[in-house]
Amino acid sequence: MGVAVGIDLGTTNTVVAVMRDGKPVTLADEAGRKLIPSFVAFHPAGKVLVGESAKDRRVVDPSNTIYSVKRLIGRTYASDEVQRSLKTMPFEIVEGDKQGVRVVARGEVYTLPEISAFVLRRAKAVAEAALGEVVDRAVITVPANFNDPQRAATKLAGKLAGLEVLRILNEPTAAALAYGQTAGKPERIAVYDLGGGTFDITLLDLSGEVFEVLATGGDTSLGGDDVDQAIAAEMANFFLKNFRFDPRPDPTARALLRARAEKLKHALSDREEASIDMNDVVRGNGGAFVPASFSMTRKALEVLTNPLIDRTIDTCRFSIETIGLEPNEVERILLVGGATRMPVVARRVEEYFQRPADGKVNPDEVVAQGAAVQAAALTKTQAKATPDKGAAAREKAKAAPPPAAPPPAAKPVLAPTLSRDEAPYEPTPAAPRAPLPPPPGRPPPPPPRGATALGKIPLVKQAAPAAPVETLEELDLAIESVEPVGPSFDFDLELPPAARGGAARAPQAAAEQRQVIRPVRGAPPPAAGSEPRLPQAPPAADYATLPSFDAAPPAALPPPAPAAVHAPPPEPPPRAAPLLIDVTPISLGVEVAGGFCDFLIRANTPVPCDRTRVFRTASDNQTAVRVRVVQGESQRFSENTYLGDLELSGLRAAPRGEVQVAVTFEIDADGILNVRAKEEGTGRETVARMNLLGAQTDTEEVAAMMARQRKHEVA
Amino acid sequence: MASLAALKNRLEQIEEQSYYEILRVPSGASVEDIKAAFHDFALDVHPDRYVDADPGTAGVAAEIFKRGVESYKVLSNRKTRAAYDEGLLDGRLRYVEGRPAPAAAPVVRTMTLEEIAMRPRAKQHALKADRFIAAGRLDDARIALVNAIQEDFDNDDLKERLNKLYRDMSAGPIALDLDYRPRR
Repeated sequence: MGVAVGIDLGTTNTVVAVMRDGKPVTLADEAGRKLIPSFVAFHPAGKVLVGESAKDRRVVDPSNTIYSVKRLIGRTYASDEVQRSLKTMPFEIVEGDKQGVRVVARGEVYTLPEISAFVLRRAKAVAEAALGEVVDRAVITVPANFNDPQRAATKLAGKLAGLEVLRILNEPTAAALAYGQTAGKPERIAVYDLGGGTFDITLLDLSGEVFEVLATGGDTSLGGDDVDQAIAAEMANFFLKNFRFDPRPDPTARALLRARAEKLKHALSDREEASIDMNDVVRGNGGAFVPASFSMTRKALEVLTNPLIDRTIDTCRFSIETIGLEPNEVERILLVGGATRMPVVARRVEEYFQRPADGKVNPDEVVAQGAAVQAAALTKTQAKATPDKGAAAREKAKAAPPPAAPPPAAKPVLAPTLSRDEAPYEPTPAAPRAPLPPPPGRPPPPPPRGATALGKIPLVKQAAPAAPVETLEELDLAIESVEPVGPSFDFDLELPPAARGGAARAPQAAAEQRQVIRPVRGAPPPAAGSEPRLPQAPPAADYATLPSFDAAPPAALPPPAPAAVHAPPPEPPPRAAPLLIDVTPISLGVEVAGGFCDFLIRANTPVPCDRTRVFRTASDNQTAVRVRVVQGESQRFSENTYLGDLELSGLRAAPRGEVQVAVTFEIDADGILNVRAKEEGTGRETVARMNLLGAQTDTEEVAAMMARQRKHEVA
Repeated sequence: MASLAALKNRLEQIEEQSYYEILRVPSGASVEDIKAAFHDFALDVHPDRYVDADPGTAGVAAEIFKRGVESYKVLSNRKTRAAYDEGLLDGRLRYVEGRPAPAAAPVVRTMTLEEIAMRPRAKQHALKADRFIAAGRLDDARIALVNAIQEDFDNDDLKERLNKLYRDMSAGPIALDLDYRPRR
């Protein structure tokens, strides 16, 4: 069995990490880069490029270079986000069956999980090259506020990439896990995660053994990209005013503006005022570019940014109130995501929580690292157990500089993690820490529930079995009453009017700039003259059923990497990873009479969880019942996100109301909905089928997607 | 980690347990107690604690965990807990949100006082009280129940039943039998 890694599959960048010696380590590619741009370029030669090389192709071959699929995945074609992207994305987006979204590249139509799968295959290859071992399992992170179809699509992407997805993990929760590796005492923390395209707030209680998510909330269409858009709109106005030229109608100029906007935003994180050359935007008489320069103060940027931050603070307030707390009762604030580097974001968040934010986490890597922690926790112990030799050697290797000339083979790139202020993480104590007294202001921990407390438990052992206490709602839904599927609802982005006109190519710009602004440090240089090859161990038994993407036959295995850096991991310490109790971010409901929504599972319920509800036939000899299912928080059914309908078929023909079907809606640990049904009384299993919008669930469809993956080699 | 057999046994028992019993807290437990109890419960039966076990075992653990989640959610909220406590008096072990139970809902049997009482002498008095209630002699039942509570001084559930008895008495004489019907 191979290694299990954690993958942060981001809108703009993807990061992969693994647990080593009880510590999460971010892995870098052969060039020492830890951020893999989430770009997929279909090369004319048939190869699929992912990462930096794909990002370069965007200028050459924009229609076959796909990016920012995370903004589209799991959504319906009619959703606002997809409709917006139709106008701004240079590649072709078409409607697939079940209102799904497809992209077209080189004449072939792909589903979005397939595109994400290419990115994941690249992440897998980077990890395999760095570790010199097969990677076949992963924890993949998603924004906490992702709904069921978005999670399911991400999980499918993992499967298509040849990975067993151990868990779909919420990004802020992952960040808390990574942070918790270094934190010693029980605390109540808030993770404020503002990425390129999504915002999440998650409140957790960390205690020694249990990390409990108290509440989570967010906005899947709000992020740093929106700030870029607002700046780009200002720039367009500047050109309109000074040159009587509107760059917006021209896609190239629009993309340029977005790239410059992001650069300016980054500069303003360090300076009070910055200006940027715009010498290649406006052409004068004769076609020559007119020199221009755009400058902005941090203050002006903050004026633009504040409405967006207001929305995040509102979401924070809502989450805090949900669990009945005051903002100052949160003991620590973690800022995650590149957009939190803007000083105004940190300041506003600190103001709200009345507490300085923690500066120890690296906003780019902490999510992948948390995923790695969870991947290790979800890995069978016997798979982790390896001889405890080489630990000392590795310690030495860590202290020493990287070898001047690593042998030709996989180059393990176990770069030490750098924190926001470049201080390395403290080594994580593997052993359980001594319990510390609770911080002031917190109620003392309850006394252990020992014998005395047990004495108070009401005894009902002799109680005759109560009749099934399921006093369940009954819902009469006739199949005839099914209406055509309505449009799916999406979060609407409320930008200042000026921003709407602005170009929208932030993701690519964001990815482009990241390396320039924040070069990756600490990775050893690539070995001279050796083409990095993916070392591929013989496939594991269950690996054989999955397509093998590597052309290198097992016989051509490179020699094992240097023992000093690459020795097998030591005996794992006693399971240091805490038990994670995460929650479902969005309420799940069904449609009831009058266009209302009846909630089955409320937001912030720990997962896995389930709820059983009884449905009856509404007409004589009805053999099928159809129920419409949504996720959202509105009492009005139509204001929520419509997931699809649940079809109960093969019912016994009987007078109306006589057939009662108990349907169990389960939200699993991945936050994904599963449904099963049973006929009440007879206990007969009933066929329950969720017809999810836009989802690819058929075995045949998945097989076709697998086949398309096999057709392309990823580089 | 519990064995598959132990987990299966626990899952069976859960059908007859109140939320308090599932989480193993007394009925008067504070919010903090319930939270701590849920953490202990999760450490016992969260499916992630069974990654080394076979999927079947983890599956049974998950079923138990889901009932714990239900218990925790209801008991953590003051409003739902009060509503649940009310229903529990009528023997409803599971909470149903909002609306009153529909007419076709299965009738639920209430635990007898004897079953609730814990100490042997308390059980004797409680049995008497049960019989008095069945006979409609509520005042005699009250005396027997008070006697039972004196033996079972820490039994909150018994005290709650006494309160219920007082309420029933003030509502006038009703013919009660052991199978209390859920009140609307």
